[in-house]
Amino acid sequence: MTSTLGTRSAPRLPHAPAPSLQVAAKSRRRDHRRRSAAVDGLSILVWVSGALAVALYLASPGAHILGSVSSVVTALGIVAGLLATDLVLVMIVLAARVPLVDRVFGTDRAIAVHRSLGKPVLYLILVHGLLITIGYGLADSKNPVGETISLFTTLDDMPLAYLSLALFIAVVVTSLVAVRRRMPYEAWHVIHLLSYIAVAVALPHQLSVGSVLASGTWQRVYWIALYVVALGAIAVFRFAMPAVVTFRHRIRVIDVEQIAPGVVSIHLAGQDLTRLGVRGGQYGVWRFWTANTWWHAHPVSFSSVPDENRARITVRDLGAGSRRLSRIRPGAFVSLEGPYGLFTAKARTAPYLALIASGIGITPIRSLLEDSPLRAHEATILLRGSDPDQRYLWNEVAGIARATKSDVFAMIGPRASHGDAWQSAEDWNRGVTLESTFPHLLQSDIYVCGPQAWTDLVVRDARLAGVPEHQIHQERFTS
Amino acid sequence: MRKRATAGGIVASAAILALGWHLGADQVAATTVPATGTAAGGAATPSASSGATPSSTASPSATATPTTGTGTTKSSGKAAISGTFQGTTEQTQFGPMQVEIVVAAGKITDVKALQLTNQGGRSVEISNYAAPILRTEALNAQSASIQSVSGATYTSGGYISSLQSAIDKAGL
Repeated sequence: MTSTLGTRSAPRLPHAPAPSLQVAAKSRRRDHRRRSAAVDGLSILVWVSGALAVALYLASPGAHILGSVSSVVTALGIVAGLLATDLVLVMIVLAARVPLVDRVFGTDRAIAVHRSLGKPVLYLILVHGLLITIGYGLADSKNPVGETISLFTTLDDMPLAYLSLALFIAVVVTSLVAVRRRMPYEAWHVIHLLSYIAVAVALPHQLSVGSVLASGTWQRVYWIALYVVALGAIAVFRFAMPAVVTFRHRIRVIDVEQIAPGVVSIHLAGQDLTRLGVRGGQYGVWRFWTANTWWHAHPVSFSSVPDENRARITVRDLGAGSRRLSRIRPGAFVSLEGPYGLFTAKARTAPYLALIASGIGITPIRSLLEDSPLRAHEATILLRGSDPDQRYLWNEVAGIARATKSDVFAMIGPRASHGDAWQSAEDWNRGVTLESTFPHLLQSDIYVCGPQAWTDLVVRDARLAGVPEHQIHQERFTS
Repeated sequence: MRKRATAGGIVASAAILALGWHLGADQVAATTVPATGTAAGGAATPSASSGATPSSTASPSATATPTTGTGTTKSSGKAAISGTFQGTTEQTQFGPMQVEIVVAAGKITDVKALQLTNQGGRSVEISNYAAPILRTEALNAQSASIQSVSGATYTSGGYISSLQSAIDKAGL
């Protein structure tokens, strides 16, 4: 490991002097308590919404009369449908980029939960359809196929409900990891947008056939209010707010700087950019309005904290879309959703700071470092690249480190061939570990950013070393 | 942290479910007690099972009898209204729906289903199970502002409309 780096640029110093250890620890404990209370509150809210869905059914007239097999089956089918509807609305809120959710939970974690709900919800919807069909069929003494035909033909809104089912299947199947990996992002995205239509066309049968939502009941009022809240959150936070931000700040590209093969820093100019409230380590979802790039939105980290009129992002050509970014001309108009993310100094809970970046994962680490008030030797930074070309922004990091009296280590070289280590082969053989690199590992907040498989290995080692979960911070770059 | 959220969620959910169950159970208690006398005989015509009082075996052809206003002494005040009043026939997706009410001294004492939705086996079953619930709700509310029955939306809708027209006719 080499511990020195050439330096050149002079980045801005942190804005505020570092608070003393005790003061920082106290405010971090308080912030952490508040955040985890908010997370718990939101989780309980999800439970409560599910319970309310079932309870409102139980409270409706006739729900208790389960005299026959068919009525039991039908009742279970109704409950499955209500739970599915509730969870779909929860998923919508999770994907809506609600500022509160981003602040306490992080958008990446919210999206991870959104994803983990996809398959269970689809199963609930399928169970709903199946049980209702069987239950009705038992009552009519019809087989499920005959019952399906009669549902389809006799009830006005049922064809729409079947369309909704088909759309939900398409949306969930295309989001399975194995399938999604084979699809271009745009194709996946267009199919995913169909989920709005799926939600919309499922609604009529809930209101007309589904008696829990029958007109004139307070259950109907409750459910419609839920729909309004969920879809309203999407309308406000995914459409209205980004539009306001974009037109308020009028961001344009002023320079595209190639900093390494395949890596560009895009320099942006805009108005009143400090009002964006970007914290170091956050990212935005960017859209560059040129003929070749307008249809693709890119989640990219700020590689420095914006000032009044200037911002900078740094991006590597990970896909065809990113490659086109390197050909953007100055003057291009830029729209922004965000800033998002909890990969910031705000999320800290421990007295020391350990930053570990690999490859292009340096970008949020770079701006996080810039935005962290630090005591001397509070922060230790480990920069990782698989070859010397990957030293993106390392000079800048070294400059900030010198100014804040932080310690920097570099580790260059491909990973060990057994594929189970985040270290370079050479350092692995020498026995370099997280413990040997970071002097106060167990009292440190660890921020890791890099390729997902590599990040997972670092996080695994941190956990094995006994670092508490709330001190491990990572940003998962998948939209 | 996760544990606290899960535990809190389970406790809150259990409380809400218990409350929902309790509310629903109240309604069942209210519906089953007066309806017990007529529990038998769902097998015949749907209307027979729902004509709740054992004495009145309401026939679907009850339209023939000149019921409107029988025995009403047309003096002032609702308390004086008595008699049997037929509601209009409501067409639903599953067939026609018609009820009549029996009023004694301004009070609805019975609701009889003259015609019940009966198209398709399921709707007969629905009617048989929904009608007693709707009847009890109506007797309790003494009006047509009652809740639909789960799983019997169309039947409930027709029942309530017909009931309202009968109440209007009675002038209650």
